[in-house]
Amino acid sequence: MPALNPIKMQRYLLQRLVLVVLVLLGVSVLIFVVTRLTPGDPARVMLGPRATEQQLEQLRVAYGLDQPVYVQYVSWLSHIAHGDLGESIQLHRPVANEVAERFRATLILAIAAGVVAFGLGITFGVVAAVRANSVLDHALMSVALLGISLPPFWIGLIFIITFSLLLRWLPATGMLSPTGGGGLDDVLPHLVLPTISLAVVPLAVIARLTRANMLEVLNQLYVRTARAKGLPPLAVVVRHAFRNALVGTVTLLGLEAGWLLAGTVYIETVFAWPGLGSMLVNAILQRDYPLVQGGVLLVATTYVLINLATDALYVYLDPRLRHA
Amino acid sequence: MGSPDSRRRATSGLSRRRFVQTLGAGVVLGVAAPTLLAPVGSAAPASNAAAAAPGTLVIGLVAEPTSLDPGQLTDINSMKLLGAMYDTLVRFKPDSFDLAPSLATSWDISSDLMLYTFKLRPGVKFHDGTDFSADAVKFTYDRLLDPNGPYADTGPFPFAPGYYGSIAETIVVDPLTVQFRLNRQDASLINAFTLNTGRIVSPQAVKTSRKNFAQNPVGTGPFKFVSWDHNVRITLTANPDYWDGAPALSQLIFRPLVDEQTRITEFLSGGVDVIFDVPPDNIGQVKGNPDAVFLEQPGPHVWWVTLNVQKPPFDNVLVRRAVNYAVNKDALTQDILKGTGTPSVGPIPPAIGWAYTDQVTQYNYDPDRAQELLKQSGVLMPINVTFWVTESGSGMQSPKTMGTAIQADLAAIGVNAQIQTFEWGAFLNKYGSGLADEASMAELSWMFDSGDPAHMLPNNLYGPACSPKGFNGGCYQNSNVDLLMNAALKINEREQRGAVYRQIQQIVADDAPWIFVDNQIQNAATSTRVSGLKLHPSFYMTYLNQLSAS
Repeated sequence: MPALNPIKMQRYLLQRLVLVVLVLLGVSVLIFVVTRLTPGDPARVMLGPRATEQQLEQLRVAYGLDQPVYVQYVSWLSHIAHGDLGESIQLHRPVANEVAERFRATLILAIAAGVVAFGLGITFGVVAAVRANSVLDHALMSVALLGISLPPFWIGLIFIITFSLLLRWLPATGMLSPTGGGGLDDVLPHLVLPTISLAVVPLAVIARLTRANMLEVLNQLYVRTARAKGLPPLAVVVRHAFRNALVGTVTLLGLEAGWLLAGTVYIETVFAWPGLGSMLVNAILQRDYPLVQGGVLLVATTYVLINLATDALYVYLDPRLRHA
Repeated sequence: MGSPDSRRRATSGLSRRRFVQTLGAGVVLGVAAPTLLAPVGSAAPASNAAAAAPGTLVIGLVAEPTSLDPGQLTDINSMKLLGAMYDTLVRFKPDSFDLAPSLATSWDISSDLMLYTFKLRPGVKFHDGTDFSADAVKFTYDRLLDPNGPYADTGPFPFAPGYYGSIAETIVVDPLTVQFRLNRQDASLINAFTLNTGRIVSPQAVKTSRKNFAQNPVGTGPFKFVSWDHNVRITLTANPDYWDGAPALSQLIFRPLVDEQTRITEFLSGGVDVIFDVPPDNIGQVKGNPDAVFLEQPGPHVWWVTLNVQKPPFDNVLVRRAVNYAVNKDALTQDILKGTGTPSVGPIPPAIGWAYTDQVTQYNYDPDRAQELLKQSGVLMPINVTFWVTESGSGMQSPKTMGTAIQADLAAIGVNAQIQTFEWGAFLNKYGSGLADEASMAELSWMFDSGDPAHMLPNNLYGPACSPKGFNGGCYQNSNVDLLMNAALKINEREQRGAVYRQIQQIVADDAPWIFVDNQIQNAATSTRVSGLKLHPSFYMTYLNQLSAS
């Protein structure tokens, strides 16, 4: 492998970092403008119908909402520069704490669902391709078609009714049991149903794509050669066909990572999972500007960082870019 | 269509990019992974006991509490926890709005209504071990009311000026006697001392925790705060030294379950023991469940449709009466609310017995009478009006279906109401600015949790409170009503005050500035292992030391 040109590499990454900062600045302006343009007043939502104009005004002053929007923006930005995301109007606690806890819950669910979706999806696809047009193939692909067609929140509700209400095998909602210790043994039973509900759609997509890719590869000349030279069937499938077919499947990972992080919103609602999606919905309804801003900024940063890491690795892996 | 070769190249290029993107995602997630594997909750013992552990009760909330500092709170949901941890000076008896001693054992109100004197309960301790005394009372109310005080930064305290604004000074007479000197005559102040906002906090804990007091509450109540795993649960433990008798429970746990159906499901599957406000459509399901007990209690709630009296057609009292006759409230409470409400006849709910009367002009469903009144009014038919409806909202019951039913009833007499729907945050803003030129009708509801109309009517039916100054969105103005409201604050005797409010109801019912719709019946569902839970008409959770679980 040729050595990297460190100077070019550094310059490229620096450019990209500047871009990241610019993108996040743009996002911050956008969040600010959109929250302020939404009809509704945080003070009024918080105080409800009881408040007098004077009480509302006091509250607006307390949270700096009486200031011109650009002043609020600059103040928010300078606080962020000092690592302070502000305090939630509704929850009376630092936005950073709330957002971090919520993001962690979302990640737990997203990663679990990702593992299930890819693990089972690839397995199903390979098995279906190897046994193409068999009863097993048709069965697996019918299930996959069903998985793509059903709305995940509905699947979630059916799971709850079946496994929690009727069979009483698993807890219906939440991330922890009311008196549990909060360890892995506590989280795992709660994780099963939301994970499967969230994984069903990507699992189905992956299974169908893997099957198609496998079938294409299995018809290639080198596979026929491998068979002709007398390799055992399992070795042909695993070492020659599967590894090449996987490249096509893996293209989905980036796309599905997005789905797994964003698609949790309604799964979180159905299962009362304390993640970022349900937090954002609630924060928007309550007009909790600092919390909305902090939450959206975190989501945006995550996406931008995934892209940055992607681009950096891309340079590393693609010789043409490296020498351009 | 490219050649097979070029197509293959294109595909493989895409593959690599996606592959790398994936790795990128993996790197980010990988960095986060170690933190994910750390234990999630902060509760100490790793007992995996189910919700059904004896002595432990799990209560489902409709949202994550916003704070546990009584002064800061503005939402009913968060307030549900306060009665467990804190006490008020005065409280209501277990099943009425009659006053009973709590941290104050007796009180005296001067005949000029300018000085309130309270004798305090001796030997009471806060959960942090400090003594409850007159100093704690003074500290509590000084903190709430002095915007320049040393602990003002532990706020804001949005409801305090409204309830306790008449307090000029809190005076410590001796360790067990405290006095409030008023800046104006205020007969409603005694009931305000039952409210959540005025619950007594530990001065020591506020001084130590400052802003963090909201997350580390310390009071004198039957339960002590243990831990708060945000968005998961709040755990309280029994206070064995509680002055009103040690709690029967050893542990009380609150869980936020935001989605309505999720809450029901969690209850039916045994994950929580108590839920409040079972939605009308699920009541049958709960009642039919052998493991569930369904509780009901009429409350201090009113639900109405504001009519804009400032502009045609509702500037004409005959038209206002006509629409009142046109709405079938019995059908609404039975078919839509499934019995979770009773038809109302005025602005004060029957739960406030001392101030309520049904001896008013009543508008029982009578579309013919409505048509007749419209004819008499001389207003040109058909009438076209705009009707503001909210999607949801605290105390709003089923606002969309109720709005649609009202619309249909009005259409039957030739009043075409064009519904405009708003999400609650936007709705409050709209209503707060007044209906003015934008709408002729709007839904609204209110809770009289202090058991005193003085904390509600001056906001909604008082002339000077015409929006945007107050919440009198339809701008109803009747100088007699205004005079009576002011007079009611200056009368010491509750019977006499009640008579004044009855008079107000008669005038308001005659003027019909609202369509009077219903009073909500609060409900709750508990599992059969729960006993001692009584719903109080104030909708507060009270006397929690009597709650037990087998």
